[in-house]
Amino acid sequence: MTLLNVENLKVTYATDDETVHAVNDVSFSIDEGVNYGLAGESGSGKSTVAEALLGLLPGNGTVERGTIEFNGTDLTSLSEAERRDVLWEDIAYIPQSAMDSLDPVMSTGDQIAQAIHTHRNVTDAKARDRVRELFEIVGLDPDRIDNYPHEFSGGMRQRVTIAMALALEPDLIIADEPTTGLDVIVQDKIIDKILEIQERMDSSLLLITHEIGVIAETCDDLSILYGGKVMEQGSVDNVLVNPTNPYTMGLKNSFPEIDENEDPVAIPGSPPNLNREPTACVFEDRCPFATDECGESHPDLVDLPNRNHRSACHRVKEAAQLRRDADEPETWNIPDDGDADSDRGEVILETDALEKHYEQSQPLLSKLRGEDPDYVKAVDGVSLSVRRSEVLGVAGESGCGKSTLGETMALLEDPTGGDFMFDGEPYEYYRDGNLQEFRRKVQIIFQDPFDSLNPRQTVRKLVGEPLTIHDYRTDEKERAIVETLEKVGLTPAEKFLDQYPHELSGGQRQRVAVAKALVLDPDFLICDEPASMLDVSLKVNLLNLLRGLADAEDIGIVYISHDLASLMQVSDRLAIMYLGRVIEEGDVDRIASQPRHPYTSSLLSAAPEKDPTADRTRVLLEGEPPDPVDLPSGCAFAPRCPKAQGSCWEAEPAIDEIGDETHRAACYFPKGEEGLNASDASAVDETKFPESANTDSVGD
Amino acid sequence: MSKFQRFLLKRLAISVLLTLVAVSVIFVVLRLLPGSPFEALVTSGNLNQEQIDEIRAMYGLDQSIWKQYINYLGSLLTFQFGYSILRSQPVWEVLEPRLINSLILLVPALVTTAILSSVLGMYAGWNRGSRLEKASIVSTTLLRSTPVFITAIFFIIVFAYNLEIVPALGMRSIRATPDGYLETFVSLDFLHHYLLPFTVAVLYYSGDFLLLARNGVVEKRGSEFLKLHRAKGLTEMEQLARAGRNSMLPILTYFTLRLGMIFQGLILLEVVFSWPGIGRELVLAIQQQDYPLVQAAVFIMALAVIIANLAADVLYAYFDPTVSTNGGGSA
Ligand SMILES: Nc1ncnc2c1ncn2[C@@H]1O[C@H](COP(=O)(O)OP(=O)(O)O)[C@@H](O)[C@H]1O
Ligand code: SF4
Ligand code: SF4
Ligand SMILES: [Mg+2]
Repeated sequence: MTLLNVENLKVTYATDDETVHAVNDVSFSIDEGVNYGLAGESGSGKSTVAEALLGLLPGNGTVERGTIEFNGTDLTSLSEAERRDVLWEDIAYIPQSAMDSLDPVMSTGDQIAQAIHTHRNVTDAKARDRVRELFEIVGLDPDRIDNYPHEFSGGMRQRVTIAMALALEPDLIIADEPTTGLDVIVQDKIIDKILEIQERMDSSLLLITHEIGVIAETCDDLSILYGGKVMEQGSVDNVLVNPTNPYTMGLKNSFPEIDENEDPVAIPGSPPNLNREPTACVFEDRCPFATDECGESHPDLVDLPNRNHRSACHRVKEAAQLRRDADEPETWNIPDDGDADSDRGEVILETDALEKHYEQSQPLLSKLRGEDPDYVKAVDGVSLSVRRSEVLGVAGESGCGKSTLGETMALLEDPTGGDFMFDGEPYEYYRDGNLQEFRRKVQIIFQDPFDSLNPRQTVRKLVGEPLTIHDYRTDEKERAIVETLEKVGLTPAEKFLDQYPHELSGGQRQRVAVAKALVLDPDFLICDEPASMLDVSLKVNLLNLLRGLADAEDIGIVYISHDLASLMQVSDRLAIMYLGRVIEEGDVDRIASQPRHPYTSSLLSAAPEKDPTADRTRVLLEGEPPDPVDLPSGCAFAPRCPKAQGSCWEAEPAIDEIGDETHRAACYFPKGEEGLNASDASAVDETKFPESANTDSVGD
Repeated sequence: MSKFQRFLLKRLAISVLLTLVAVSVIFVVLRLLPGSPFEALVTSGNLNQEQIDEIRAMYGLDQSIWKQYINYLGSLLTFQFGYSILRSQPVWEVLEPRLINSLILLVPALVTTAILSSVLGMYAGWNRGSRLEKASIVSTTLLRSTPVFITAIFFIIVFAYNLEIVPALGMRSIRATPDGYLETFVSLDFLHHYLLPFTVAVLYYSGDFLLLARNGVVEKRGSEFLKLHRAKGLTEMEQLARAGRNSMLPILTYFTLRLGMIFQGLILLEVVFSWPGIGRELVLAIQQQDYPLVQAAVFIMALAVIIANLAADVLYAYFDPTVSTNGGGSA
């Protein structure tokens, strides 16, 4: 039976100088007990749909037309009070940003109890019991219900919001990007939890996300949104295996996956301007298959024969052909530079047992008594080397010390121990008076680079600034700037020189940020989560850019991220970090196909796959990494390790415990020792659905 | 020792230190003032040198400055304020009733305005852009930027002289001879005298609380946690209450600090209304260079500020679950 039926929903936002047509005649329906996915790049209107359903649109948002029928009643026609009764009782909501969705000055338990009290007449004691029960269901310690939000980590806060959503056993749960911003392991655990609970309670789920991999794994039906329009709709198996819409094809191709040999192909361009009612196909200016017809009207959503599958494209009849073409990068106007695995050069940066320990603040009295302070061992004995033309990926959960490692390598933090060599000179050489030289040769790109661009400066100023600071190529500044802009793909450079950041698209701004780092012709680049907040297509663009730079410019790159799939795409070698140490290191292919350390296996198995037919066995890790203070002796991973044995607790395994130069790991009982890689069941499942099957399905 | 105790101890130590500094500053400043309280008596020829020396010895003014300082510290910190030079009365006996008079006027005014203006401010912030919001901001800003004695005189002219609703000056009518605080304050006559200065004080304080509360709510209005509250089905007013609770901390802190500065803030108000409070007494004492009285009055005022600061810190730590109580050491 249909639970929710949305018909021709149209939502606009009034802004100071224009009307934003955020959602344009969207229709879809969700059956009872079904998981429904809503996918699309950011700005495609996903959150707006969710907010319209819940009646949570901000003050300047209006539902222009359309009906939202829930269990037979039209939600748009309800009064405020009637709607409040439906909220949470029947429709609950898991918000986008768990980090700041909880009331900071109210204990988490009270916030859940508040939801119960608002709708049910129960005693405080009963409500508290229910809260404890809910905490248990979502895997939180029931004794922590009186804790405040700031006492929980991001993943745990998301569990609190899930517990809240379950409180009244609603018929429908709307989850808006419940895992964006969380690292893979946490994301995987949260998704698993949502599914488990939802199965148990038999409610429906509307899952909103830009990660189609998550939808492929969890949903039955989905809609793909673009520019506020439904581009394609139907069962996940149909839509994601045999997409018939060019946008879906692009989205799917740009989703990086771990066990994929081809480079992901990004959709070039940026999302459409929504300041008027769409008159042409909303995807027209990015679509490689656009014809004249596409410029005249937006295509209607048409049913494809004999299946739960609808698509809005004027060329839907040629879908099979389009699908074949869409796999080729040339189609999207991206030059295929092939897998020119250029030779790696000599070692440029090397660390040996590098350490960065932070002293913990301690009370005055213990200071007076002269007690030894505790140390946070953010980086604890890391030995790595990076060659020219090589990209070294550094992966790990949040808090494992990746960023500190990056900053220490960039000498933004002084190492507290170990050796450090760059370009043949030791750390001391740079510390004692040659830091300026080091700062020119080594550049670091931080998370969300385009936030750091001064909005009042032109591209010329922005990119030229480092030249002035370092007095580098100052006599031919203009040429240096133009060269660099072209290097990062902003061509023709002259067109961009006098533009301000706000006149550029997200992807272009990010290229400017990269250009700022490259204009000094560095020998080494350190990138710390530069793409974590970006949409897939922008992310893939950046990865390809960096990969190309490493090959063409002979620079060494360290790429730090929690996103294994991206790392696999861009890196030559990979180092997996856990609690300040590298626990596995080696060539990307070898780690992907044959991880040795149990921690690596669980990281790998946590990444979702976009192919809904692929089965993946989850290895869920218990708990969260402990604080890197006072670690137990022995293997630091032992408390969470499924394979730990008595001897693991006795002494710490060194990184070269097993393996050789090309692949080594710090583990006494590594994977693949018992039988060889064939029995490696808990790693990524290799069975892939044959992509070419069923291509003759549509209309021909 | 718990984290909180440690924090408390630290703050206490700071407060004691501050008190010492404040007391010393008062001492130095008073000695630096030109003239002495006896000069007037001397120049009028009523006293001869011998008598003066005697009196000076009585007040300890003949001793070395260090000795004076030590004695002064000792007596102030044990709340022995000595004798008022001009009134020949123990200082505390002069100050106590005036302190009470001030408190009875200002504390209720401050509490009233803190509650009313904050609630109004929150409501205004929630209904941003409404006429109520604009009107309340304009009027409180106007009130805040006008010196309090002008507002006071204006009110006196309108309500006391023109409308003759309330008396203009004093705390009780001249004919009243009440005995003890109870009789003083529990009477219609008192209420009659009370209304005008009370209202002016309420209005004077209202602006800061209103703006603070409004800004707090405006800032919280679009936040994600309120959206979740809304999704849970809380009514508009319940949501506003949550937004208000989330902007309480600065208001609470401000209230405590204001409470500490209560005497200084409205000295002029007491003067204009001839309210026999500590502020007005201080002004008189300064005019007459009555050292012990000035010292004691200033000391009490400084102590109030220091205690209020301490209270603000502690309340803050208590009410904000996220504030670190280890003194900010965990950077
Ligand atoms: N409060 C708002 N005022 C004006 N425009 C908005 C507002 N919220 C969202 N938009 C616009 O509406 C479009 C859809 O946004 P949104 O629903 O948040 O997309 P998504 O969730 O898919 O990222 C975007 O172009 C966005 O800029
Ligand atoms: S209608 Fe035209 S522009 Fe739109 S997706 Fe189809 S082919 Fe591309
Ligand atoms: S050494 Fe032992 S505890 Fe550590 S990862 Fe290997 S098996 Fe697990
Ligand atoms: Mg969104």
